[in-house]
Amino acid sequence: MKKALTEFSINHPWIVIGIVAVITVFFALQLPNIKIDTDPENMLEEDEPVRVFDRQVKEEFGISDFIAVGVVSQEGAFNEEILTNVYNIIEEIEDIDGVIADDIMAPSTVDDIKQTPDGILKVETLLEGEPESDSAARYVLGRIKGNPILRGKLGSDDGKAIAMFIPIESKDMSYRISNEIKAIIDKHSNGEEYYIAGLPIAQDSFGAEMFKQMAISAPMAGAIIFLLMLLFFRQIKVVIPPMIVAVVSVIWAMGLLIATGNTVHIMSSMIPIFLIPIAVLNSIHIISEFHDRYQKHKHKKTTIRNTISELFIPMLFTSLTTVVGFLSLATTPIPPVRVFGIFVAFGIFSAWILSLTLNPAFAVMISDKTLRNFGKREDEGGPLSRVLHLFRDITNKYYKLILAGAVVVIIFAVIGLNMIVVNDNPVKWFKKDHPIRIADRTMNKHLAGTYMNYLVIDGGEPDAIKNPELLKYIERLQQYLEANRIVGSTAGITDIVKKVRFELFNQDSAKYAIPDNQNEVAQDIFLYEISGGDPDDLFKLINTDYSKANIWVQMTEGDNRSVAKVVADAEEFMDANPPPAEIDANWAGLPYVNIVWQQKMVGGMRSALLGSFAVVFIMMVILFRSFILGAISMLPLTITIAAIYGAIGYLGKPYDMPIAVLSSLTLGLSIDFAIHFIKRSKYIHARTGNFSQTFPEMFEGLGRAITRNLLVISIGFVPMFFSNLVPYVTVGSFFFAIMMVSGAVTLLLLPSIFKIWHRRLMPDTQTENIQTEEKVAQS
Amino acid sequence: MNFTKFSILLMALVFALTMNLGAQTDVAEELMKEAHLNNFYAADDGLAEVNMTIVNSSGKERNREFAMLRIDNEEGGVQKYYTYFHKPYDVARLTFMVHKNPFETDQRWLYVPSVDLVKRISADDKGSSFVGSDFSYEDVSGRHWSDDTHKILEEKEYNGMQVYVIESVPKSEDGVFSKKITYIDKEHMLPIREEYYNGKGDLERVYSAEKIEVIEDIPTVTVRKMENVKKDQYTIVEFSSIDYNVGVTDDIFTERYLKNPPREYIK
Repeated sequence: MKKALTEFSINHPWIVIGIVAVITVFFALQLPNIKIDTDPENMLEEDEPVRVFDRQVKEEFGISDFIAVGVVSQEGAFNEEILTNVYNIIEEIEDIDGVIADDIMAPSTVDDIKQTPDGILKVETLLEGEPESDSAARYVLGRIKGNPILRGKLGSDDGKAIAMFIPIESKDMSYRISNEIKAIIDKHSNGEEYYIAGLPIAQDSFGAEMFKQMAISAPMAGAIIFLLMLLFFRQIKVVIPPMIVAVVSVIWAMGLLIATGNTVHIMSSMIPIFLIPIAVLNSIHIISEFHDRYQKHKHKKTTIRNTISELFIPMLFTSLTTVVGFLSLATTPIPPVRVFGIFVAFGIFSAWILSLTLNPAFAVMISDKTLRNFGKREDEGGPLSRVLHLFRDITNKYYKLILAGAVVVIIFAVIGLNMIVVNDNPVKWFKKDHPIRIADRTMNKHLAGTYMNYLVIDGGEPDAIKNPELLKYIERLQQYLEANRIVGSTAGITDIVKKVRFELFNQDSAKYAIPDNQNEVAQDIFLYEISGGDPDDLFKLINTDYSKANIWVQMTEGDNRSVAKVVADAEEFMDANPPPAEIDANWAGLPYVNIVWQQKMVGGMRSALLGSFAVVFIMMVILFRSFILGAISMLPLTITIAAIYGAIGYLGKPYDMPIAVLSSLTLGLSIDFAIHFIKRSKYIHARTGNFSQTFPEMFEGLGRAITRNLLVISIGFVPMFFSNLVPYVTVGSFFFAIMMVSGAVTLLLLPSIFKIWHRRLMPDTQTENIQTEEKVAQS
Repeated sequence: MNFTKFSILLMALVFALTMNLGAQTDVAEELMKEAHLNNFYAADDGLAEVNMTIVNSSGKERNREFAMLRIDNEEGGVQKYYTYFHKPYDVARLTFMVHKNPFETDQRWLYVPSVDLVKRISADDKGSSFVGSDFSYEDVSGRHWSDDTHKILEEKEYNGMQVYVIESVPKSEDGVFSKKITYIDKEHMLPIREEYYNGKGDLERVYSAEKIEVIEDIPTVTVRKMENVKKDQYTIVEFSSIDYNVGVTDDIFTERYLKNPPREYIK
């Protein structure tokens, strides 16, 4: 098979190129049908219980996702000028397509219950028109502070901040709508600072910026890889075929993804940047070997045959292990990660076939004249070789120390692994100085929070919530939750009942409590409706048959860990305080959905990692036909993963979505060096038959191929360091670290292991002699 | 045709059109007034049992049952309503009274039985929801014809009835609606359909008279429906046990009777 494929490509290069071109054109034609999906909620299955429940709650209580808009002024925001601007801004925002105007929460749209001087109960809009004076504006602040449902939500107690909550029909509109809001703000603002925050805007903006980022990062990675290869091989005609392999495999993978009807999600947008470096891996090995051998054979076809023959098995296995690493993602419960895993795997497989066919096909077409000086420059004296010889001398002398060092690294890494903190927050996918982060910090410092979760208490039967005992219980639960540092405010039907009762009894503060009588509860709620309160506002807190109450839990932090703590607090309270009636309590809201998504991600990635570890280990045992060599080959990647994840633990960097996804890839990539190193060292040893000659040769052609690969891939990811999106920076630095660490571990640890156990692993078959020594020097 | 002749003809045409328009406006207002009086001021007083069902967008229903007593102090002018709730059961015995004056702010009182308290509630916003339904306070008691300018758009057949189609635009911007189209049934001179358009000019709510019965010689809309097109929900109100000219006196419509309903009318 390996011979047939290569022979065919050598003898019929144009046919191979023609077939590849036809397939590529077919897949390229699929690309315009691209469907983009930037909703992170789709990280969970459509029918995932938490999403189904979230949708039900949103529908039953008429809740939408919203964009939070805030204005902060150190001199105070409740003055005529700023409040007038806020009023006019809201008037215009109401007309934006996709904004649910009726549900906007802002001073000029929310109802407040109050008492006129002659004792008339009144439910009216807080700010009916433009405020006529500074004192009118201050009066609005006073009323916000006097209404527990509005307090902290619409205005900060110190009066420095005003918030507006803009509900939108669908999350994927939030980027566009936020831009329209910005334009409206610019028109009205007299210099006061406005902020736009909230999870939907963070998530949707991320989607929008992500595609821009990919359009920069992927071509840039390609360009850098191209330049590096040119630097190593100094022959443009040799370097172009691997680039074609990379681009073609990206087109095939993306084309198939689109042709099979999959949407391009946050994850799959990263396919090109993952695929390009991995796709050139095999080509670099081939060229590297071709480069080192050509001057010896001086015959293209022979050089190609020998090169492919030596590399076929290692390349097959390195490709297969990477495919396994990515395919393991197909077992995770997260659809976009599955799609990502499957199509990257397909891309890698395509790249493997292409490097075995396209590379030889192009190579035979390069004229002998072009190749005349190819590989002539002696690499033994180059900087690459100097570094490798340093590695050779170190391992030769300090191999025991290296082995001991590896043990120490593992011990420290395990400690670090236990320090890993699982956490994520889509807002923090942006860098600290991004407007979304600044808005998040500023608004959450002053106000009750931009993150909204909903705790739904289901009493099971109509009117269950009117039970005064249950209402008092809910009131206590709200108080318990409010004690949490990040809970800025809670709002429930309890607050409406208390407020109405307080006003009914002419603002008698003793009456600011849940009544003891169920009819009184019912009549308080009825009173709210009959005095002109908007029924829609009421039914955001209770459902129409009064069987369920919806507690709005507003939080100043969206970190999954902090949100999980609030959820745990609620459970803690309900465990310690049995409810007076049988109830069911469940959470909804974007921050809560994110926690569930994260739990799935962490669990899914753990089993994917363990699964692919086992599969790769079995493959290694088969490849080397030795349990011990199989185990040894797993060492570099084990140490790499332990060291990198241990470092994440020490650094306190949260284990988030990108880091979770990368664990399986680390495995698939870092085994590659070990495979090449062990397999090809065995070839060398079979040739020399003497370990003292095998050992130095490990650091020649083989070492150079590995080092070239290491440099090409790690530097190829460097453009991502400069992304303004944190996950991209994470992925870029992570890849860089993986390549560097696993390369170094491979080149230090494996020779040391061979050195200490060479009698067992590479027994001498002939004695050292001058003749072979010379042969080594020549090659 | 010379220029003089042309000018005269043109002036005559313009004059005729303006006259016609003015006359049309007057006619439209007269029609609206007649329909309004028939719909909201039938007889001198009235009594009915009302069953109200509010159906939200997901089909969930809420029900209210109340008795309604009305007295007209002046045809087209001051009017008083007394409402006694039977259902929901937990608000039973709650009473509600409105003194309506088309040219001033209404006065509203509420008696809360669970705490035995009478409370005055604000009546500033006529457009706010009536007891949580899709009807506003103004829909229940009627909007005075002089608040809007009216224009006959056409006369046509609608659902087997001959109707006038009249467009009404508020004289002052009070935000309740920007435009209203009323269909008046020529036979009974009752509004059988009203379309309310919001500030953006979009259709927001549609009222329809679902059933007309002749009670004590008075054509009466006994089933009324208000649909909120925007929110995809509606409210249906059915009137039963209708009685006109029951002889109720003005003193019933005072705070004193809120706590103690007049048992001769309300069971």
